[in-house]
Amino acid sequence: MEQYAVEMLHITKRFPGIIANDDITLQLKKGEIHALLGENGAGKSTLMSVLFGLYQPEEGVIKKDGVEVKINNPNDANALGIGMVHQHFKLVECFTVLDNIIMGVEPNKMGFLQKKEAREKVMALSEKYGLHVDPDAKIEDITVGMQQRTEILKMLYRDNEILIFDEPTAVLTPQEISELMQIMKNLAAEGKSILFISHKLNEIMEVADRCSVLRKGKYIGTVETKNTTIEQLSAMMVGRNVNFHVEKKPANPGEVILQIDNMTVASKVHKNNAVKNVSLKVRAGEIVCIAGIDGNGQSEFVYGLSGLEPLVSGKITLCGKDITKSSIRQKSVLGMSHIPEDRHKHGLVLDYSLEDNLILQTYFDPEFTTPAGFLRRKNIREYADKLIEQYDVRSGQGAVTTARSMSGGNQQKAIIAREIDKAPELLIAVQPTRGLDVGAIEYIHQQLVAQRDAGKAVLLISLELDEVMDVPDRILVMYEGEIVGELDPKKTTQEELGLYMAGAKRDEVKA
Amino acid sequence: MLLLIQYTLIFSSVLVLVALGGCISEHSGVINLGLEGIMVIGALGGALMMRFLGTSSAFVMVLLVMLAAMLFGVIYSSLLGVACINFKADQTLVGTALNLLGTAAATVFVKAINTAANPDDHSSEIEYVRARKMFIVNINGFEFNWFMLVAVLAVIFVAVMLYKTKFGLRLMACGEHPQAAASVGVSVYKMRWAGVLLSGALGGLGGICYILAGVSIWKFENGVAGFGFLALAVMIFGQWKPYRIALAALLFGLFRALSNTYVGFPALAALNLPGNVYNMMPYIVSLIVLAFTSKTSRAPKAEGIPYDKGSR
Amino acid sequence: MKKALKNPGVQAFVASIICIILGLLIGYIVLLFINPEGAAESIVNVIKNFLTWSRPNKKLQQFGNTLAKTMPLLMCSLSILFAYKVGLFNIGAAGQYVAGSCACLYAALAWGWGWLPCMIFALVAGAVLGAIVGFLKSRCNVNEVISGIMLNWISLYTANTLLTKVKEVASPYTMYIKDVNPSALLPNAGLDKLFNKNQYITIAVPLAMIIAIAVSILLSKTKLGYELKATGSNKNAAKYAGMAENRNIILTLVISGALAGLGAAMLYLTGYMRWECTQSSVPGMGFNGIAAAFLGGLNPIGAIFSSFFIQHITDGGQYVNTNFYSSQISDLISSVIIYLCGFVLFIKITMNNLLAKSEEKKSRALKVSEGGDK
Repeated sequence: MEQYAVEMLHITKRFPGIIANDDITLQLKKGEIHALLGENGAGKSTLMSVLFGLYQPEEGVIKKDGVEVKINNPNDANALGIGMVHQHFKLVECFTVLDNIIMGVEPNKMGFLQKKEAREKVMALSEKYGLHVDPDAKIEDITVGMQQRTEILKMLYRDNEILIFDEPTAVLTPQEISELMQIMKNLAAEGKSILFISHKLNEIMEVADRCSVLRKGKYIGTVETKNTTIEQLSAMMVGRNVNFHVEKKPANPGEVILQIDNMTVASKVHKNNAVKNVSLKVRAGEIVCIAGIDGNGQSEFVYGLSGLEPLVSGKITLCGKDITKSSIRQKSVLGMSHIPEDRHKHGLVLDYSLEDNLILQTYFDPEFTTPAGFLRRKNIREYADKLIEQYDVRSGQGAVTTARSMSGGNQQKAIIAREIDKAPELLIAVQPTRGLDVGAIEYIHQQLVAQRDAGKAVLLISLELDEVMDVPDRILVMYEGEIVGELDPKKTTQEELGLYMAGAKRDEVKA
Repeated sequence: MLLLIQYTLIFSSVLVLVALGGCISEHSGVINLGLEGIMVIGALGGALMMRFLGTSSAFVMVLLVMLAAMLFGVIYSSLLGVACINFKADQTLVGTALNLLGTAAATVFVKAINTAANPDDHSSEIEYVRARKMFIVNINGFEFNWFMLVAVLAVIFVAVMLYKTKFGLRLMACGEHPQAAASVGVSVYKMRWAGVLLSGALGGLGGICYILAGVSIWKFENGVAGFGFLALAVMIFGQWKPYRIALAALLFGLFRALSNTYVGFPALAALNLPGNVYNMMPYIVSLIVLAFTSKTSRAPKAEGIPYDKGSR
Repeated sequence: MKKALKNPGVQAFVASIICIILGLLIGYIVLLFINPEGAAESIVNVIKNFLTWSRPNKKLQQFGNTLAKTMPLLMCSLSILFAYKVGLFNIGAAGQYVAGSCACLYAALAWGWGWLPCMIFALVAGAVLGAIVGFLKSRCNVNEVISGIMLNWISLYTANTLLTKVKEVASPYTMYIKDVNPSALLPNAGLDKLFNKNQYITIAVPLAMIIAIAVSILLSKTKLGYELKATGSNKNAAKYAGMAENRNIILTLVISGALAGLGAAMLYLTGYMRWECTQSSVPGMGFNGIAAAFLGGLNPIGAIFSSFFIQHITDGGQYVNTNFYSSQISDLISSVIIYLCGFVLFIKITMNNLLAKSEEKKSRALKVSEGGDK
């Protein structure tokens, strides 16, 4: 009989209205790297939260080394040697690396911290596995890669035998990703068992021994990676063969719509500027994508462009008009639409109804407001119903549904409907497909291309390599707040793109 | 001059104690706007002990009065804990309710006691002339109050607790990133409860210290005149750090002390300003100070946000 | 019945009733604790307030007194709920109320202004104070609760200083308006006759109600209301949508302050009360406004009823048996009610869960019975 490190048998976890995990079984062998594959919303994170003691399943059992165990909280998981690197790091930003590693298992005498022994153990571990960090640096001052190493050290410090990695590559450069893959292989060779959660098929094929697939909360199956193909895995994940490429005609760029000259934006987190001297042009009828690893100034670039943050210096021209000093409202009226990065922070008023969210950018229009300042409720309803039908936004009670109660995909559709229906000259789309399933992603990509074909300028900011390679007509790579390269998606490769994104290669780029 | 120093130190002691209470609570993630009410209830506890404890030992008196004030503060702050930690209520609303309730409850209670003792007595006053003397050591005209020492000890205690102990590390993690704390097995609810109850103890101490500062009789209808909020201003000015809070409290204490002692300074008395101007001083100073420090202030990131186990 | 319970308005009403009942119950327990003998009678008197009088005329007149004092309370609660809808906790309403009192009394007694300019002056004074809080919040990021409290005390001492100039020589109270400058008294417009010639019933009563309705319309039907509520609900989204966030914060607090300031004029210009120039605590009207605002489910129309209720039990406090108890029992009850209002969200969620559960049971039972038929 095969020896399993951990078994999750027939796990069912329900939330109000949905079954997040429906009779799922997952068996992890000792010393293997086991991938858990599924789309967003397939139930991967829920399953891992069950294993980690954050949720209690309604049905099913968990076995450790063949013995049934109860995991009621992270402490229990830790006691069983289960550790997890969360997708969003669980690190306290104003604490040091060392403080973050020891928190929860602090070496202490009478409650007083004994950091010296802790430091020695951390240094020894970081030597052994090649995880270099400065234990006294504050988390807010170090790179994302180092933060991830801190998370891995946290697990090793606790002598965990079972390591869960929840989408660990999303925030890394291709080079950092291959380093991480090597680290994972080293750990497995040392006898650690690894669960690797991902929806990136290449990575799974490269590093995992076996792969279990979930779809819409259900268990689909487990395969050996050496006996399978990317296409087969993909079909298991989405239930049909997916067309990975966006169909589009060659671009036909016209006049310059957006011109940015030497734009500099300050950072909110550190003293340096987040965006440095960026110049670029976007023409009518083309999609320009700004690619880069998360945190290289893309967010601040968009904030500066849209007016959410002030510029340190630079000039912005939209359709020939200088809009550097214009307010957000003026920019919007002049034809700038903005699909924001964070739909809950910026894109929606979650407590407002769907119809009130659909007029968020146009509520002051005479169509919706009388000269005396009263809202024209009837017109608003008609307009909302029109958009809901046209863009297929689904919600419980139509126009009066509270935005909070809608699914992420439909919230995003509502924002896209609102921003596109404004008939903008320039559409800025920041990570428009983040956290959505394949169907919604396809739909959004089609909408972006349709805007391009209608002669609009589209500026896409993306972190997803597939999206960067497929959707745009031109790629600009941003690294540490600067544009370091311009690439043609038809001619470049993911590897070349990766070198630019990691700052290993750069050209002088002229706008 | 001696009098000014004396009053500065005693009012600073009040502010330090209460501000440290606010600081611990906020580091755990709960904004304690109810400190004003907690002070009143703490003062009530201490005053009752002074009235009914018939001891001649100064040590026993000081100790028991302090313990009573802390106990009352802790019990009362649990109302904030239940509402804000377990039931995720609006922290501002609950804090405000506690402030109003503190004064109302203390008044009703003291009046009931007074009326029960003497049917014609409908006042809300408690008198403690004899007991107050036990808190004070007269050094050449300077009235040293034991609370000054307690305040210094509290600063050191809180600083060590926050920065040198396991408890402090966990507490601050709950105020900065409760999900991170929970993921390593720290119980956020427990730590926040600890933060709130400790702030109740310190707020209660501050309350009894306040009514002992200058007078020997206290009318509970008056509450504590916004001192709980001044202490929050001190905390913000002190950037949530114990030693800086101590310095900030000295500044605010000085301005508060002026209103008690300005008559003694010929230069100030010659200005002939109405006494109300000096009464206003601490509040005006705090507004100005807040206007200049709030923009850059670094409050604990997760303060004021109820922690929900389900959200990640 | 169940369908009605799903309506958010009905839920808010039920939640408020629960808060009231629990608040009164706790008040009763406190009275029992102090002295079991007269507790029941006293709590009943608190609830009955003016109804404890046996003569109908007296009843009516006392009813008028409570009504006259309800109006400033209503204005304070409107001030607080308006700001709260925009995400601001205007605890400074108490100070804005003080500023309004000071302004209208000083203008009436020192300058001999008529009632309308006095009223407008009070409104402006409250608005200016609100503007300071708004400015500090939007420009300097000062927490509006703390700056509000500071301004409460500053305005109290300022009012004490200024009004000392128009006080009676022999007492700490300001002079009677009716002796010095009767033109500053609010007109009765015949309304006093409805309340057994209660002179304190003035145009303030209909005016405050009209303002409540106006606030309700402003919040729910206008562009400004749409903007302000968006700012309150998600200020990042409001900024993203090009709404002027800083302007909206200041505007909100100006309106909020104006409401509280005007409220003060609605009381002091009736002559019902005079200012005590030695008072050492901020008048409770602004704080009771918090209770009324939340008890009214943060709805301007609801606030009319909740303000009346709060004022009703506050006045009722004077009918307790003072041989054992103090009138502050009413303050205690209303602060307990504010505390309980913190649990309203929880009460609503529980209600919804119970409803969902009972529905589930029903649908299950239905399935079983259908199965039985087959």
